[in-house]
Amino acid sequence: MKTRIIHILALAGLLGAAACQKGEIPNLNTPQVDAITRNPTKEELNNLVTGAESGMRFTLNTYYDAISIIGREIYRFSSAEPRFTSELLGGGASTLDNNTFYITNPWAARYRVVRQTNILLEAATNSSFITDAQRKGFLGFAKTIKAYQLLLNLNMTDMNGIRVNVADFQNPGPFEDKAAALDSIARILDEGKADLGGAEVIFSLSDGFAGFKDAAGLLKFNRALAARVAVYRQQWAQALTALNESFFDLNGNFSTGIYHRFSTGSGDLLNPCFIAQNQSGEVRVAHPSYAADITPGDDRIGKATLRSSSASQSGLSSNRDVWVYTSNTAAIPIIRNEELILIYAEAKIQTGAIPDAVVALNRIRTGHNLSVYAGGISPAALINEMLRQRRYSLFYEGHRWVDLRRYNMLNTLPVDRAEDDVWDRFPIPQNENV
Amino acid sequence: MLLSKSTLMALLCMCSAYLLHAQQNVQGRVTEAVSGRPIPGVTVRVPNTNRGTITDADGRYALTPPEGARQLTFSFTGYKTRTADLSGNVVNVALEEDFARLDEVVVTGLATSVKRSNLANAVATLSARELAGTAPAQTFDAALSGKIPGALVSANSGAPGGGISVKIRGITSVFSNSQPLYVVDGVFMNNASVPAGLNDVTAAATAGNPNNQDNPSSRIADLNPADIESIEILKGASAAALYGSKAAAGVVLITTKRGRSGRTNISINQETGFVKVRKLLGQRVFTAETAADLAGPADSPDPDVQAARNANRQEFLDAQSAGRIYDYEKEIYGNTGLLLSTNLSVSGGSEKTTFYFAANRRSEDGIIKGTGYLNSSLRLNVDHRINDRISVGVTTNYINSSADRGLTNNDNNGVTYGVALSSTPGFTELHKDNLGNYPRNRFAASNPLETRDKMVNNETTNRFITGVRLDARLHENDKTNTRLVANGGVDFYNLKTSAVFPRSLQFMENTVGGASIQGNTNNINTNLYGYLVNTFTPNSSLTFVTTVGATLETGNFDNILVSATQLIGTQTNVDQAGAANPRQFRQKYRDNGIFAQEEVTILDAVTATAGIRFDRSTNNGDYKKYYVYPKASLSWNLAKMDFWSFSSINSFKLRAAYGQSGNVPPYGSKFTALIISNTGGLPGSFVDNQLGNTGIKPEKQTELETGLDISILDGRVNLEATYYNKKIFDLLLRRLPPGSTGFNAEWVNAGDLRNQGIELGLSLLPVNTKHVRWSSNINWWRNRSRVTRLTIPAFSLGAFGNSLGTFYIEQGQPATQIKGSIPDPNDASKNLFVTLGNSEPDFQMSFFNELQLWSNLSLRFLVHWKKGGDNINLTQLLTDLGGTSPDWDDDKNGNGVKDGPERANAGSAAIFVQDASYVRIREIGLYYNIPLQTRFLRAVRVGVSANNWFTFTDYISYDPEVSNFGSNTINTAISRGSNGISTGVEVTPFPASRRMSLHVGIDF
Repeated sequence: MKTRIIHILALAGLLGAAACQKGEIPNLNTPQVDAITRNPTKEELNNLVTGAESGMRFTLNTYYDAISIIGREIYRFSSAEPRFTSELLGGGASTLDNNTFYITNPWAARYRVVRQTNILLEAATNSSFITDAQRKGFLGFAKTIKAYQLLLNLNMTDMNGIRVNVADFQNPGPFEDKAAALDSIARILDEGKADLGGAEVIFSLSDGFAGFKDAAGLLKFNRALAARVAVYRQQWAQALTALNESFFDLNGNFSTGIYHRFSTGSGDLLNPCFIAQNQSGEVRVAHPSYAADITPGDDRIGKATLRSSSASQSGLSSNRDVWVYTSNTAAIPIIRNEELILIYAEAKIQTGAIPDAVVALNRIRTGHNLSVYAGGISPAALINEMLRQRRYSLFYEGHRWVDLRRYNMLNTLPVDRAEDDVWDRFPIPQNENV
Repeated sequence: MLLSKSTLMALLCMCSAYLLHAQQNVQGRVTEAVSGRPIPGVTVRVPNTNRGTITDADGRYALTPPEGARQLTFSFTGYKTRTADLSGNVVNVALEEDFARLDEVVVTGLATSVKRSNLANAVATLSARELAGTAPAQTFDAALSGKIPGALVSANSGAPGGGISVKIRGITSVFSNSQPLYVVDGVFMNNASVPAGLNDVTAAATAGNPNNQDNPSSRIADLNPADIESIEILKGASAAALYGSKAAAGVVLITTKRGRSGRTNISINQETGFVKVRKLLGQRVFTAETAADLAGPADSPDPDVQAARNANRQEFLDAQSAGRIYDYEKEIYGNTGLLLSTNLSVSGGSEKTTFYFAANRRSEDGIIKGTGYLNSSLRLNVDHRINDRISVGVTTNYINSSADRGLTNNDNNGVTYGVALSSTPGFTELHKDNLGNYPRNRFAASNPLETRDKMVNNETTNRFITGVRLDARLHENDKTNTRLVANGGVDFYNLKTSAVFPRSLQFMENTVGGASIQGNTNNINTNLYGYLVNTFTPNSSLTFVTTVGATLETGNFDNILVSATQLIGTQTNVDQAGAANPRQFRQKYRDNGIFAQEEVTILDAVTATAGIRFDRSTNNGDYKKYYVYPKASLSWNLAKMDFWSFSSINSFKLRAAYGQSGNVPPYGSKFTALIISNTGGLPGSFVDNQLGNTGIKPEKQTELETGLDISILDGRVNLEATYYNKKIFDLLLRRLPPGSTGFNAEWVNAGDLRNQGIELGLSLLPVNTKHVRWSSNINWWRNRSRVTRLTIPAFSLGAFGNSLGTFYIEQGQPATQIKGSIPDPNDASKNLFVTLGNSEPDFQMSFFNELQLWSNLSLRFLVHWKKGGDNINLTQLLTDLGGTSPDWDDDKNGNGVKDGPERANAGSAAIFVQDASYVRIREIGLYYNIPLQTRFLRAVRVGVSANNWFTFTDYISYDPEVSNFGSNTINTAISRGSNGISTGVEVTPFPASRRMSLHVGIDF
């Protein structure tokens, strides 16, 4: 009997020890999405805004490299990564792949920010701690950023289109073709504009938004992006309207605008597009045509500085480094006045306002130490001049390939090796399962 | 300490005399049946009591059995257990060698054990001699290579300090734990690999593959192989179900050495040897013209290209005339490392208390200057019998290990030795000048000689492992007894990682100005279990063993990593810097289980077992829910039946075992996190790209194992044949949601996987005479996996994308298949995505032989053959691109295009998928026992051994065993760890090495 009692006691003790489960172990490391969207405080909303601004910078190097390589603006030589010189340039038999970093990484990084803006939209809508005007500030910012991120992805896939409505991640919306997607992006920007109209901005932004941190400033940013989208849609009048509501200033500083900022601060990023001059192994060099085609005296040659010795890989070579970002904390523009002046010129050419267009083009030319435009004034000639100025003014800012594609002029790009190809779009990433 | 023989005898006599008065004393001598030599160390016990002793060096013993005892049992590893009747005061026995190891006792659950002759599973057992007695490997994990039938053991690299992938019976899991559980004397030993943050410098995980590529060591490597007495490997759920969710990938049960009562034994072993690189790839031999070609084609109209060509040509000609064409590969990897290992052990004890103490120091230089491994450890195991009913055992182990692992593997900044070498020709000058300055490498982003000489990548561990075991006999009588066993263990380590890149390095001066990445990890694992075991023997032909028990395990991991840049001078403290970026990652879990098991043995011939376990874990979506895992097994040894009439067949056993287990989801898989992401000095929360799943549940594994074991000719020929079918349901997968959702990974239970395999073992004793003894073990095994169900779209993982070859999880296909893009032969502008290989070997085979001559000279060797199994070799791609492949200028297919550019421009992933078969003489050792016995010396051994010395393979890179992604690297908030698939991907690894050593051992 005694032993039986011992047995029962021992067994009860064991099971008792096992059954005491002290509760769930939470996420020890970070906040959680489901908690923050329920009813966030102002501080939490501010953190989401900063997260969105910060997240826009992820993988920018891959985006700019990929489209600048196809646009024959740069070469990216890497001893570790062959596909910069093979697949992106169509070297040999290689083609663009739908499951390779140059499309999958930037595509996912931009949509991650779209996800962030959707979280911010949901969070701001649910927050009981802010006024309606303050809420509009969050919504307007979120929509503007979302539209910009969608546009960058559409720049890559172009005629293949993008998904616009991805709020429900279990059932993301359908792929919209290029025209529909551009319409949607314009619509999202317009919604953002409407929100910002009556908004109060209580969140902080980095100095990349210096001068544009309040509701009025963010509205100007929104409209500058709208002007870019309008010319992509060939809606020239809308482009001019948007420019007027933006920070466009024909005689203003070219560099006025909105930027991504970088620093060595904790949790911050360094400029991923920076590579020091005269490096070997990992180099980013200007396509030889950049210097070959430039007008003598053009100060924009400073964006492609001479190397002490030329770099080469896989039958390609260049003696000039890309020198757009001159330190690892240099800012990368999102949109700036120089582009707006060129959008103005383009819209004016397209609407037949030739003198206005020439004034704008000359503003660019003289601003870069060139004489005034003396070429033909037919629309075709002026478009060529406008595209040329865009090429040099916006070098390695992700435009040339997009611009030539808009004007059906990809066939004018130089092809360096016999079997190289000029791609007109990236494939939809494999994991989209379309 | 050293008592003279006469004193000892006098003491013994006194004790005996004293004991004679108390109770009847028994003494005797145990000898070996064939040779008649005494056997020291034999355990002599009175059955069903705690009373027992050990034979001394002369094979003698003496003990006092309790009143009424009628028998004594004599057992010793490697010999058949004998029971002798207690008749009179002297019992002498002769033990027969147990060639078939049928009497060996094998652990079946946490609680009970069973004789091998009745075992229902194929449990692999390694003795100390098999583990480390032939040619010791550098670390414990490496010592398992080729020795576990059913396992694919593969080194991740040759870096000092270990790092091994062990996959038992195929792929257990894709994203959850795929490595076995290591249990050392009842303590669950953590085997995580913690990355040192090298990715901040190499950016390896930023482009093609987000998984960590820091090449950290596995923490199980800390364990000192010399302390190990034996290892048992429970291969799957049917054998290991009582370890619950942690055992899904198998269990490696390690028993360390214990003391024996009697004379104190002191043993000193010294190993002295050297380490060399196994193979170098060689360098491309340049001519002035091919040197010029590195700068661009000869017909380039670009004057800069022509200038650069001329510069290259001139550099080559100058180097050639000065005789300064270097073999940088050899300079970096060609170091001969000194290896020294010293082991001291002292063991002994009284009848009540025994101890084993060991001190060990192993040091080894790597094949790359500045790399190496140092491990110092202390162990004290103490067992104490409080009384006849209660005994306790305590094991303690302190380890200090330090590994300098260099900078190898993939990177995207051109900074690792291998990536830099891949584009550096031998005619350029990298050596430092008279002033001590290193020239800038104009062919790569870094000067590998400078990197090697200036950088530090060190892992230092301080680890303390302790366990306590309490064994109490609650009651006993003729027919039944009940034991309470409680076991608790703690495994604590602090891991300090230090990666320092001074700002004067070529790749630091113009970028971040030096980097000091200091990591500090504290990890504590605890496990506690208790169980009651009742043995009931109603009559001599029937035994019931009933076990009930409960287990509790906890883990607490805390990693703080600070990455400082813009360093002050040569300072390495993280505050001596212009910028610092701290990161912290913590994880915790608490798992508990309850189990019950019933074993029935009938006529010592039929053993049936049934058990059930309830498991839950805080890592599951529902932390309160118990998951139920049953198991059952049956074995029938026909040779023990009365009707058995083939006297030459000593054992003929049919067996079957079935069991279920689970594999808990990784910590954090139920959360969708917001990671820190700041800009402009503002704190930001940015949505993680990994989508959590609050409904995540464990993978469920079922395993069915059947087999046939035959032992004939007195155990001189033994065959063990096993078939298994291991199925994993609700596979934990990191689905790739469409990138447009903003997530690139989502945890889901989304598929089933099956592994089927065959394991055959043949052990032979062809010659066994007084002077010559030859024993041989041959094992053959194979595994085939198949993804039988996949509810999410097929997806690629584990390598660098389709164009370089990738693993691809696809329904109906092997889990380890490799696919990739190749050009469409019909349309050059298109690619085809096709199957190119499989990393699973066709089969593996191992062949262990031991030849013993005149009982003093012994030759042992282990040959391991892996047939088939493909690697993804991207080292060759990099050297092809960099123009440094040794065969770059060849034209093997005679099509007029040099092989280097032909491979690089083929646009086909098929080139990278290469057969990694090999035959390797893993271990070979020759040992001699000097027949020299004095009053002080008991034995002197000398020997010479070689580890991984001979390898026969067509694989063209450094070594067919390689993994760029490691095997059990943890997931942290910002870096993705290893998965269960992607071994065999190679990107400029730390080359494999081979070792040769001289051994001297002295026993006092």
